[in-house]
Amino acid sequence: MSDWTETYRPTTLSEVRGNNKARDNLEQWAKTWDDHRDAVIVHGSPGVGKTSAAHALASDMGWPVMELNASDSRGADVIERVAGEAAKSGTLTGGEAGRRLVILDEADNFHGNADYGGSAEVTRVVKDANQPIVLVANEFYDMSQSLRNACETIEFRDVSKRSIVPVLRDICRREGIEFEEDALEKIAADTSGDLRSAVNDLQAVAEDTDRLTVDDVVTSQRDTTEGIFDFLDTVIKEEDAEGALRASYDVDENPDEMLNWIEDNVPKDYRGAELADAYEFLANADRWLGRVRATQNYSYWRYATDNMTAGVASSRREPKGGWTRYGPPSYWSKLGRTKGTRKTRDAIAERIAEREGTSVGTARREILPFLSAMTHHCTNRDLTVRMAAVYDLDENEVSFVTGSGKDTNKVQSIVEDAEERRAEAVVEHSGSAFFEADDSSGGTDTDDADAATGSADSSADADGQETLATAGGGDEATDSESEPADSSADPDDAESDDDQSGLSDFL
Amino acid sequence: MFKAIVSAETLTSALDSVSVLVDECKIHLEEDGLEIRAVDPANVGMVDLSLDASAFESYDADGGLIGVDLSRLEDIAGMAESGQLIQLELDEETRKLHIQIEGLEYTLALIDPDSIRQEPDIPDLDLPAEVILEGKDVNRSVKAADMVSDHIALGVDEGEEFFYVDAEGDTDDVHLELTQGDLIDLQVGPAHSLFSLDYLKDMNKAIPSDTEVTLHLGEEFPVKIYFGFAEGQGQVTYMLAPRIQSD
Repeated sequence: MSDWTETYRPTTLSEVRGNNKARDNLEQWAKTWDDHRDAVIVHGSPGVGKTSAAHALASDMGWPVMELNASDSRGADVIERVAGEAAKSGTLTGGEAGRRLVILDEADNFHGNADYGGSAEVTRVVKDANQPIVLVANEFYDMSQSLRNACETIEFRDVSKRSIVPVLRDICRREGIEFEEDALEKIAADTSGDLRSAVNDLQAVAEDTDRLTVDDVVTSQRDTTEGIFDFLDTVIKEEDAEGALRASYDVDENPDEMLNWIEDNVPKDYRGAELADAYEFLANADRWLGRVRATQNYSYWRYATDNMTAGVASSRREPKGGWTRYGPPSYWSKLGRTKGTRKTRDAIAERIAEREGTSVGTARREILPFLSAMTHHCTNRDLTVRMAAVYDLDENEVSFVTGSGKDTNKVQSIVEDAEERRAEAVVEHSGSAFFEADDSSGGTDTDDADAATGSADSSADADGQETLATAGGGDEATDSESEPADSSADPDDAESDDDQSGLSDFL
Repeated sequence: MFKAIVSAETLTSALDSVSVLVDECKIHLEEDGLEIRAVDPANVGMVDLSLDASAFESYDADGGLIGVDLSRLEDIAGMAESGQLIQLELDEETRKLHIQIEGLEYTLALIDPDSIRQEPDIPDLDLPAEVILEGKDVNRSVKAADMVSDHIALGVDEGEEFFYVDAEGDTDDVHLELTQGDLIDLQVGPAHSLFSLDYLKDMNKAIPSDTEVTLHLGEEFPVKIYFGFAEGQGQVTYMLAPRIQSD
């Protein structure tokens, strides 16, 4: 059984229903195209007849059609090759004088990698075109401004019930179906302005009956996406637990996002104890989301959603009313703003953790707060200097821990003192090793002397310092047996002796 | 019913000349040979190909219609070495094409012909000028023009009686004149049209350099390019819509 929306698709513009003004504008645009040579954007809700009107227009004008829609891959190269060429070339039948209608369906929807660069290319094609172009779109403002400015605009409005009913009546007559007027009214009312859905619904209920009654019209309401703001109103002000949960099914947000939305907006209406209860539930929801992340078991989402919707709705203790300015969640922007601070905190915590042998988490939660309290505003200066020295903190980090300004003399002098202290400590901890070495370079230390004089001394093993020759050859005794002349004079040769014989061995 | 044996060269040149325009096509399996007609997605280029039954080693068909994915079929045909024979047989039950090349068997799933773009009607054009030249001259013109521009003008000078190719780039220009002597034949008429080089380049790929190519030209009208292959038992006609000369 063929699809009635195809069977009864209008073939001429005069059959396009419900948008007479837009239809006339489109016709006017086509007839005067030779004068203005602009492209046109036809936009409106799904199912109101935009694409149908474009095709009907082409057949009215006798123009061949080139259509690209979302089922084609629409990367920049494809658009340039297909739409670009179609928009710049004449037709096969009419040559250069022949007109062709280029229809770019779903011009507001370019998705991901498959359509990479598509929307920019459309703008270019539109600007260079020598043929009429119709861009069909749902969301006018989803298209770039330069594209919108380059085109004329025609809006298709939702088709009114008054216009839908005659279309349905006409189809019933042509299909030979008897009908009750009320049944058609009901279908038209249920589909709220979407003519294509109305025809689909009619076909669904009428296909198997000869007589269509109101009782046959059992198609339920279509799912519509509920906006997040309406949803917030529902949860926070209007519905009970069940209603709030149901409302969440129609919202196009995942639970993580939804939680952020609710969490950010609930304090705008809830006060005191009810707010505390609501946060309790939101905290539960957050824990379930954590479990989802940890276990990757997405069936836990249901408990998160239960908590954040039904939980919040049931925490409400008094009726809410009025209008509240809900805003988008600040979670991500907060994360962005605090990025620098968090980085400093983590850098300090890492150093503390390394030094004290704790985990970074412990350092951050259990050590850092105490340090902060003890060195608050550097009042205990000596302690602050010692802290800065031990954990190797710079001005920025000292200021983070103590809460004093980073550029103040106080903080800067502390960091200087800390550096001094560190330098002293280094000297202290070296156990005077370097000073001694300097003093005794004359004769007491035979190691140094031996190394300096090279392998002239054959008893190299005695001082524990291997000469190059012994390191390479392994055993000086065997070396001197095989190559008595070279062993001490040419350590490089000896080094490679182990596995690889040199040419000189055979000469 | 369809069963045919054909040489690898003949099949590949037939497929190549269609695949420059489209990815999928319908093949008519007529009693006296194969026929393919297709138009590219932009509706700018068209191909009309026929391959006579006599071009096949053996040919048996009764007027079926199949839809094929050209790149797949080309890949398979490419498995055959030159001089090898390819056997094609249609399984009506499963709607699959069995292809045999010297023991290699390949079963190709076909495409529902209804899902392929409609075949174009061949426009009936009255094109005044006719130029017959060698394939290598077409190749040379296209190659030279491609160096400077993305479009090319083809025309005939009525007074001086020569065929010319013009390509104007942003900075550089290419001009080529072929007189009666350089051409195989020339019928003078008013002709000058601009064409997309992208398309001509693709079409040129399918034109053998040692073949006779016939061009039909008009004033701002499509060009018809006709040539034979498989020793004249296959014929290809391309049509290409002109570029609109923006003012």
